[in-house]
Formats: sequence, structure tokens, C-alpha cells
Amino acid sequence: MFVHIERGSSIPISRQIAEQLRSQCLSGTLVAGEKLPSVRELAQQLAVNVNTVFRIYERLAAEGLIELRHGDGTYVSPRRTESRSELSAQRDKFGLEFDALIQRGVMLGFTDAELRALLTSALATARKSQQ
Amino acid sequence: MSDIAVSVQNLRKAFGSQIVLDDVSFEVPRGQTFALLGRNGVGKTTMIRTLLGLLPCDSGVIRVAGCDPATDPIELRRRVGYLAEDQSMYDWMTATELCRFLEPFYPKWNSRLADQYLDRFEIPRLTRIERLSKGQTVKLGLAVALAHAPEVAILDDPALGLDPVSRKEFNRDLVEHLQAEGRTVIYSSHLLDEVEAVADVVAILDRGRIIRQGPTESLRAEIQRMVLPHEIVRRTSAPAGLLDARRHGETWEVIVDGAPRFLEELAASGHAAQATGMTLDDIFEACVIGRPQAWASA
Repeated sequence: MFVHIERGSSIPISRQIAEQLRSQCLSGTLVAGEKLPSVRELAQQLAVNVNTVFRIYERLAAEGLIELRHGDGTYVSPRRTESRSELSAQRDKFGLEFDALIQRGVMLGFTDAELRALLTSALATARKSQQ
Repeated sequence: MSDIAVSVQNLRKAFGSQIVLDDVSFEVPRGQTFALLGRNGVGKTTMIRTLLGLLPCDSGVIRVAGCDPATDPIELRRRVGYLAEDQSMYDWMTATELCRFLEPFYPKWNSRLADQYLDRFEIPRLTRIERLSKGQTVKLGLAVALAHAPEVAILDDPALGLDPVSRKEFNRDLVEHLQAEGRTVIYSSHLLDEVEAVADVVAILDRGRIIRQGPTESLRAEIQRMVLPHEIVRRTSAPAGLLDARRHGETWEVIVDGAPRFLEELAASGHAAQATGMTLDDIFEACVIGRPQAWASA
């Protein structure tokens, strides 16, 4: 499981982690039935407060994305039919953010070729870290 | 055993005529990590030294792991692990010698635990302390502060002077060896972005007072920045919790503590406004040096 945290961001760390896990559950990057790291393990891996990770797991469990099996571990839940619409809502939101980002790039004077090059290299990094 | 590991009520401390801590109160529940934030010289170290009984307080009630530092300092030190800012250790000793030297002071010293920490923090055992790196020295300080398995760990600016990689490693150690084991931690820092990931609750200390306290998530939800047209600012009275107001031509950039409620009030009077989240550094700055006065003159 890959989670990237940007420190010093205006988005709270807890939300950064929750959103990445949510997207990965909704998109199927995390497969139903897959066992997630324990709260302690993920806290250690990310160097993030144990209680914060616990609350994120609880929230995602309440949303039905993961299941906390007492004394056993945390597992990705099977995808429900509603998760399709949640996924498309998340994708729409991403589309808007992407548009805004490109807009900023244009305002900063990047050429089309430069923007494409940035996208290509960002994509390469993202695919690499996913593997 | 109570669920409150550390409690401070109405603490006051002055050096001569200079008031360093002025009516400070807070509580830290067992198992939580409490970060004390503030600029240099606002009283963080004084606060920590009074908690340990290294400095007497002028008035107020302090309980740390059930002990009063004024009347029960020895028992308190047995229950608390302390890492001082710029911890000075006998620098001609090696790590092994330091552990052997400290052991008799603590009835609950666990030499196997001390050994494990030295291993996990990768501290060379036979090198003199004067020849260790800054990061290794801080970790050695942490290892010996934890070797008697204290209920409460009090760390005075542990990240001071560490490079970014060592700071992150240190945070990981804090999560792994303190939080995961249910210890209560109080630590001071002036690096807010470092603190966010690790702390349950942060308290901002300024000029001897705690001016704001809360879980980082609720600080971020409450304290937000918004842009308002001049007309609204002119016709509305300043909101409670206004931290900063600056005019840029016909618009104002304002920071409000209690932003969700203020937005509702604005909406109720027919003004739609949007708030944006801020980084912890910005929040800290607004709390400490924000200037809300300009609103009144609009």
C-alpha cells in the first residue's frame, strides 16, 4: 500500500491519508479481501500518530470501505454498488482540481510542451511508486 | 489510577519582576501526546522544568504521574523520563558506561530494555559521547530517558538541531516506542509542521500564556482564512475570534478562529463567503502575531 504525505500542507495529514486510502479502495487498487497494515504498522511506516491512524481506519470502516475484524486485522471490504457513484464523484472532483492546476500552469507561462513534459514525468513517478 | 497523566492548574512563575508563566492550565490524558509550541523565550523550557520540579513554581497545582513535583520529586523522577534541551552528558563516557552509571539511580532501570534501545537507535556502544553525532546524542538521551520504562516522557525540544531526515526518524521512534506502548508524552517544539503528524493535542504558548489549545484537526477546522469585500467588512462588526485582518484595496484578507460559525452568520445575513484551510505554520503565526485591529477602522 502506498501513501504519500506532504508535510506543511494546508490539507491536514489525517485527510491526506484518508483520501488516498479511500481512492485506492474505490478504484480497486486495494483489492477486496486484502489485509491492510495494522494501525501500529501504518503509524510507524508513515511516522504518524497512532490515534490519528486509528481514527482514519474507524472512519473508513464507518463508510463501509474497510472492515475492522477484532483480534484479526483490517481488511478491504468488497465493493458495493454505491461505490461506483462515489468513485465517479471523486473522479469529477479530481477533474476540477486538475483543470485548476493546469490553469495555474498556463498563468505561470508554461508552454504546452512543458506542461506535457511535467505530466509525463509525474506520471512516471506515480506509476513507479505504485509498483 | 486516574486517566489524567499530567495536570497543571493556574501555574504561575516569575523570575524577579518578569512573569514567565501566567496562569497556565492544561491536562494530558494518559496515552496522549501533547505538544507545547512557542517561539524561543516564551517559557516552554521553564514550563517543562517546573513540571519536573527542577524549578519551584510561585503558585498553582501540578501533578505528573500522580506526583507533586514540590513534595515528591524523587518518586516523580522514577516515573518520568526526561530529555533536556541540549542534554549534557558526561562526554568522556561511552554509551555503555553511561547506562552503567545511571542504573543505580533508578530502581526500575531495565538494562535489557536499555540495550534494546541502543540497538534499535543504532548507537555505537564503545565510542565516547563527545564523538557521537548530534542525532546519535539525542537518541542516546532518549534511550536513557526510556530505560526505566517511565509512565510519562517529557522531551524538551528533542528535534532541535537535527537535520530533516533525523527529525523524521525521531518522529518514527516517538510513534513506535512511546505512542504504540501507550506512554504519555509531553514535548516542546517550534517546528509546527513536524508536530502535526505526531501530536494528539497542541498548545500554543505565547508570553507566558496558553493562547490556544486543541487537537490539530480541530485547529485547522476552526481557524481559517477568507477573502471578503470591503463592503461586508465595513457593515459587519468584527467577529469573535478574529485573529488577523489586512486590507488589499477593495478586498480584505481575514483570519478567524471560529470560521465555520462566522461563515454561517455571514450566510444568514445574505453574504456568501468561502474559507480556505491554512498550514499549521500560518495558524501559529496568526495566533501569535496576528493583527485584528484594522477591522474596527474599516
